[in-house]
Amino acid sequence: MIELTVAVIQVLLLVLLAPLASGVTRKVRAKMHTRQGTSIFQDYYDLAKLWRRCEVQPGGAGLVSRAMPPIFLGTMVIIAAGLPLIARACPVPLLGDVITVLYLMALPRFMFSLAALDSAGSYTAVGGVRELLLGVLVEPALILTLMVLALACGSTNLGVMADSVASLAAYPPVAVVVAGVAFACACYVEMGKLPFDVAEAEQELQEGPLAEFSGPSLAMLKLGMSVKQLVVASLFVAVFLPFGAASVATPLGLAAGLVLFVAKLAFVMLAAAVIENAVMRVRYQYLGRYTWFVFGLAALSFVFLVIGI
Amino acid sequence: MLELMLLSLGLSAAGAVLSLLLMRAPAAAKAAACTLGMGAAAASLASGVAAIGSPALLANLGGPVPFADLTVLFNPLAGLLVAVISVLALVAWLFGLSYFNEYYDKGVGALGCFMNLFVASMMMVILCDNAFWFLVFFELMSLTSYMLVIVEGDEKSFKGGFLYLVMAHIGFLMIAVSFFLMASACGSLEFAAFRATAFDPALATAAFALAFFGFGAKAGIVPFHSWLPQAHPAAPSNVSALMSGGMIKIGVFGIMKVCFDLLALSGGQLGWGVLVVVVGAVSSVLGVVYALGEHDLKSLLAYHSVENIGIILLGVGTGIVGWACGNLWLAGIGLMAGLYHLVNHAMFKGLLFLGAGSVLHATGTRNMETLGGLARLMPVTAVCFLAGSLAISAIPPLNGFVSEWFTYQALIGAAMAGGIGMRMVFAFAVVALAITGALAVTCFVKAFGVTFLGKPRSDAAKAAHEVPASMRLGMAALTATCAALGLGAAWFTPIMSGIAASVLAAPAMPAAAGTALVSLETVSVTSPLLIAVLLAVVVGACALARNAANRAHGLKVDPEPWACGYAPDVHMETLASTVAAGVRGFMGPLYGIREGVNSAGAAVAGVFGRAFEAGACGQGTAPAAPSREQRARVPLSESVMSVLRSVGAWFSRLEGGDFRTYIVYIVGALVFFLALIILVR
Repeated sequence: MIELTVAVIQVLLLVLLAPLASGVTRKVRAKMHTRQGTSIFQDYYDLAKLWRRCEVQPGGAGLVSRAMPPIFLGTMVIIAAGLPLIARACPVPLLGDVITVLYLMALPRFMFSLAALDSAGSYTAVGGVRELLLGVLVEPALILTLMVLALACGSTNLGVMADSVASLAAYPPVAVVVAGVAFACACYVEMGKLPFDVAEAEQELQEGPLAEFSGPSLAMLKLGMSVKQLVVASLFVAVFLPFGAASVATPLGLAAGLVLFVAKLAFVMLAAAVIENAVMRVRYQYLGRYTWFVFGLAALSFVFLVIGI
Repeated sequence: MLELMLLSLGLSAAGAVLSLLLMRAPAAAKAAACTLGMGAAAASLASGVAAIGSPALLANLGGPVPFADLTVLFNPLAGLLVAVISVLALVAWLFGLSYFNEYYDKGVGALGCFMNLFVASMMMVILCDNAFWFLVFFELMSLTSYMLVIVEGDEKSFKGGFLYLVMAHIGFLMIAVSFFLMASACGSLEFAAFRATAFDPALATAAFALAFFGFGAKAGIVPFHSWLPQAHPAAPSNVSALMSGGMIKIGVFGIMKVCFDLLALSGGQLGWGVLVVVVGAVSSVLGVVYALGEHDLKSLLAYHSVENIGIILLGVGTGIVGWACGNLWLAGIGLMAGLYHLVNHAMFKGLLFLGAGSVLHATGTRNMETLGGLARLMPVTAVCFLAGSLAISAIPPLNGFVSEWFTYQALIGAAMAGGIGMRMVFAFAVVALAITGALAVTCFVKAFGVTFLGKPRSDAAKAAHEVPASMRLGMAALTATCAALGLGAAWFTPIMSGIAASVLAAPAMPAAAGTALVSLETVSVTSPLLIAVLLAVVVGACALARNAANRAHGLKVDPEPWACGYAPDVHMETLASTVAAGVRGFMGPLYGIREGVNSAGAAVAGVFGRAFEAGACGQGTAPAAPSREQRARVPLSESVMSVLRSVGAWFSRLEGGDFRTYIVYIVGALVFFLALIILVR
């Protein structure tokens, strides 16, 4: 029962905090541009306004476009329920397998890109294809780092991994640290930040698939994309920074774990926001060079694992 | 269960004969072939399912030749293969009831005859327990499927068919040498004698390697894959489903049979498993990379078969590694993952080929660039194709995810258990599988999106119509099977585990508990059923909330998409080439490999082609053939093409009813075997 409560709390936390995280990121960008910027609650206002708007569907679009926003948000919610965030163990172990989480993430990506083709607009479709190709470039690094951690911890379950890292039992340590750095880079790509994407830049192609959505569907999709950023950041926090998460499920321990988790998440999101605004845009064709670097780091961590340091 | 199998073979034979006799009345021939074919498939399905749960059955059926009795072995693994191919055959015949209407003027009688013989010969290859008969039926399977490939009778199908014939015979030769190596060591052609002999390790390795590459050529592993994208698309779509879903699995079955059964006493060697894993990893990545470059829907699917054979081999190879190391969990889980993916691939690839056949039936083209917008006109086909696309992309909770999950667990478990070298090999395999997974998602977004979504890009696509009921029923049946194999994985997994255990002659590894799938050594669980229920509830709730908001605040339709301020135009739409160009940009070097492999394949086919032509000249049956001096000056590509034409025409005479050449071929093959056996004795 307590596990179920933890799962529900995690979902509510990530869904309710997602617009705030997005708002804070925008505020950080404004400050770094020496602008005043909007309120950190602006995303809540935007979503509320969109929700009350009349929706306009493109004529060519069908069921895929219609089903995509609920699938996007719904899948993120399910992933959020399974991660070991405020306790070291997975609240729902059946959802806590690394491979399950990564392949569940493929479902929204599949539907997102399909919806981009559905509306018959060339602008949207190019963005959808880019989203897919970015996934191709980053997926090997994600899986290789998680495999290194799985070998170091003896399990592919995120809860076991978190417990092993938190109690410093994961061996060999250097490999785990390097894997953590590589995973952080891979997560950064997956979050869709500069130089890989501009999640809210209207002029960027990657945001193209959103062009044909409006009203409540757009609100749901925007919320889903903010939740995705938090879920990816939480995945990193859960397995590589599990320190402070409750090792036994007592109410006090869970409360402390919750506070610490929010603090860790805030730190990660702020760091990402600062990096995002300190780097330049690159041409899409050159992204491969960056992701090769990330894969190189992942391969390095694997070499360290094999030689045991 | 053997009686049911014999009944099935009898029905197939009756279907073949009847269909041929009714050649002049196409509708009757089609009806006879399809009905008897369905009856045969139903009977063999029942016998296969019965065999899965029964102890192995060895029977001697005698036979016409004195030196080799027709022995059959019906064990759970054979039962699984029989059941899988029966399901595909059943659905393919059902689909054919309407689909074969297009073939009335292309010799539907011969088509029905060869397809019945093809299915029956696949069953016999699976069951045969004697090297001689195994090879005879293997050859029969290759020949009948070749006839089905060239049924269209155009240049492209002759070319693809000839490449297939050459590759099949290269494989056949390697398998034959492998069998005769073993036969000469134990002095008998009975598989029972093979499995009772402990071969010398060097001989065992040679036999395994030859069998692996020989059966691999049939299965379509890299570098023997080039025939798949040329031969499969040329055949009628339900035959493609049967070939791509069923026949290439016989290659995998052969690899398993040789390794775990025939060489059982010789003991598995670690190197065999590593070879299988590495070839599997390379095949999976290259298969999907090349699939992305295809604009022909059926060629794309054929390349995906290369990819999925690679994934199956990853599981089987891990099983061999575990078996060689004495790690029972690894052997059990690896082999089980391979078997599960074998079943899954048969189902979703069959489904996708039937979907492609429906598109072809409705529009007359397989070129995705000229399609588009079919989801509105053919909703049932679209939904089935989407389900197949999700399944093959390994997206939970469908069946592809289940087998890939187990494959990942087996690979990671193998890396956990192994030393430095093993860790390197299995990390390579895991990364290959990850790239494959991400590329498969891209590829099927392309395949489904460009074909079914957007707006129609040609008059043919505008005029498309939903396909007849029997075709829809065929696709719906496979869609339901894919869903059941995914959602009900916790119930299917113990069955697969049991089959893997019977192959390994070891106790079954527990891999499921309640509704959960369990991986013991990597301490992890998952549950497609739970994911499905949660997805239904959460996504359903989100959709209801959004729809309520739509009702409260209005929903309008804007006929045109936004095109940056320009008037939208059909030429602005994203095509398959757009996606392919993106992938090429990042993965250019991998496409370079293909040029090398393809030109090697063409060169090999050319050598065989010249040999054929020389033989034809000698008999004076090819009057237009140029003299040897003239031919030497003709460029290789041209001479290959002319050979293809003449050989294709020679074979196509069979469609017209000239069976003398066919009989000559069979007699020739028999003489060849007899000569070999005399040499062996």
